[in-house]
Amino acid sequence: MKKSSLRQQHSDVSTLTLRLWEFTGSSLLNLFVWIALVAYLAPLSYMLVTALKTAAQMRDANAPLWPARAAAFTYQGQSLLIYEVPTSAGLKQWALAEPHITYSEFVDPADPQAGLIRWDGYWGDLKLVYHPGVTLANFVSLWKTVNYPRLLRNTLIVISLGEIGILCSSIMVAYGFARFPIPGGRFLFFLLIGTIMIPDSITLVPTFVIFGRVLNWTGTFYPLIVPQFFGSAIYIFLLRQNFKSIPRDLDEAAMLDGAGPLRTLVSIILPQSIPTVVTVALLHFFNAWNEMKMASLYLGVRPDLQTIAFSAQMYQSYGFTPEVLQAGALLLMLIPLAVLFLSQRVFMQDMVIAGVEK
Amino acid sequence: MELHITRRTNRIRSPRPRKRNSLNRYMRGVGFLFILPWLLGFVLLKAFPILAALGFSFTNFRMLQPDQTQFIGIQNYITFFRDPRAGSSLFRSITYFVTTVPIEMVVALGLAALFSSERLRATRILRTLYFMPSIIPAIAISIVVSGLLNPNSGWLNQLILKPLDLPSLPGRGNFFQIVLALWTVGPGFLIMLSAMLNVPKEIYEAARVDGAGPAARFFSITFPMISPAVFFSLVINMISSFGGVALLDRGLPYSRSLSPMESYISSQLFTGSYNLGYASALAWMMFIVVMVITLALFYSTRYWVHFPEEDDNEEI
Repeated sequence: MKKSSLRQQHSDVSTLTLRLWEFTGSSLLNLFVWIALVAYLAPLSYMLVTALKTAAQMRDANAPLWPARAAAFTYQGQSLLIYEVPTSAGLKQWALAEPHITYSEFVDPADPQAGLIRWDGYWGDLKLVYHPGVTLANFVSLWKTVNYPRLLRNTLIVISLGEIGILCSSIMVAYGFARFPIPGGRFLFFLLIGTIMIPDSITLVPTFVIFGRVLNWTGTFYPLIVPQFFGSAIYIFLLRQNFKSIPRDLDEAAMLDGAGPLRTLVSIILPQSIPTVVTVALLHFFNAWNEMKMASLYLGVRPDLQTIAFSAQMYQSYGFTPEVLQAGALLLMLIPLAVLFLSQRVFMQDMVIAGVEK
Repeated sequence: MELHITRRTNRIRSPRPRKRNSLNRYMRGVGFLFILPWLLGFVLLKAFPILAALGFSFTNFRMLQPDQTQFIGIQNYITFFRDPRAGSSLFRSITYFVTTVPIEMVVALGLAALFSSERLRATRILRTLYFMPSIIPAIAISIVVSGLLNPNSGWLNQLILKPLDLPSLPGRGNFFQIVLALWTVGPGFLIMLSAMLNVPKEIYEAARVDGAGPAARFFSITFPMISPAVFFSLVINMISSFGGVALLDRGLPYSRSLSPMESYISSQLFTGSYNLGYASALAWMMFIVVMVITLALFYSTRYWVHFPEEDDNEEI
């Protein structure tokens, strides 16, 4: 009796230590992930901060890093910029009224009645005074110049049709390579990998001959959509790796029960591959969203059919400056990020589905 | 388990050559039907451009003077061996593959291991945030990189190095490459994560009961189970360090590529004399190098890539 209670006590202590350890481990893990996030958030924060700046602040090398506006003072109906002026009485914040090369005349905003103050030196060497302040002007000018609804419609047409094509064909081909003794399968698989290794730029001209001259598809969505229905070598490779890592027991059992190969694929293989299939769907979404090589080649003649990434490529030719480009890039990322965030729901559920199947 | 036994006994007891043969033929036919979409696409859309590119590599095809094209034999390939810039581009691509790709893959693997852990909170938003730099579009990425890493005005220098009185960064070069690779880790991370989520949880529970710690569980369960996905990432990262294709396209135009070798090919193709003939020869030389590495990697799979029922199919 005594002995067993002692053992009880001992095990209580060890569970407590174990819990403490687990808690410490979990906290450290969470802490590490949030700290490392800084490195991954830096690009987005740079984009956001830049997109909220004015063009004038971008031009000023001495401007602060955060979005800010140059302070101004209205003197006799004129808006004058305020500079930090070093004087014998210390650093003063004065508004520049009369700029000259060797001397300039300033107004003291605290005491405008005193009139113009002469200061010897070159005003261009002085620093502007900034107050924090954001501007949405970059987003407004983008919205006015770029026809977002139409671009979005075009892009979504291309992506949704392409997504259907690429998922159906890549899954089927990968299943064929993963599960069936195809004559010459090994050679065909290396041929498939080989097609990835040849840069698009080299096959650009003959491919254009096929799509543009033979099929006469210039100015249509077809060159962007139809190839997807023949599968993508990368996704076939990825899905094949996944299908091959699923044990054969279940699909052989299904086949013995009289299920055909297609039925086995749909009811046995796919439910166990949901995370990978979702990954392929996501990667294709991002690639099609950013795709501009094919789009620029075949849709250049039809401005009304342009996709969003192709139009983004022309922002520079609209005369957009870096801060507007960053705003445009942020707008361009909104939908992919939303899609990625929403897809996490599927990633979370996967184990339940796979568990039911097992 | 029962099924497994049935299958084994079946195999031993029933040779039945004729039936087996017809079943085999049926399976071959079905398999062929399944890969038919890709095969058709290859024959109709890919084979001609690829063969044409092979043909171009034996000519002096310049895109601005197509009418002066002549067959020049292996002249382009001889030029390749005498072109120091081609050699150094190829060498820099190999260096990229040997240095940056491993870093990228370890980070992707580490992130995936972290994010498949149940101990982590708010994983949905965190995964999205970690993925985010990978989809910054081409129009913004170069401004972002220089805005953050510029040795003088970049944020890293202004906000961290200068206040801490550390020396500023060594200009351009490998450091930029590695940082950019880390910001492109998203797709690899996603692929490894999805592979980890496919691993049945019961195996971990069993290992935990046996007293295996986190590290032991990772190396004896997670890594072997996801090794097919790791292998995929390795091959694709290797190919994209030379050229060809990127797992995730930021929307870069043809003339700009992150891989040194592909940049050089593009510079031959889209600047100066628009020399498609020489660019094609360069691409084929690159193809040979990449194919040799790929075959070596595929050969290595028997030592570290794990598929269930390895003995059933000798093909890799």
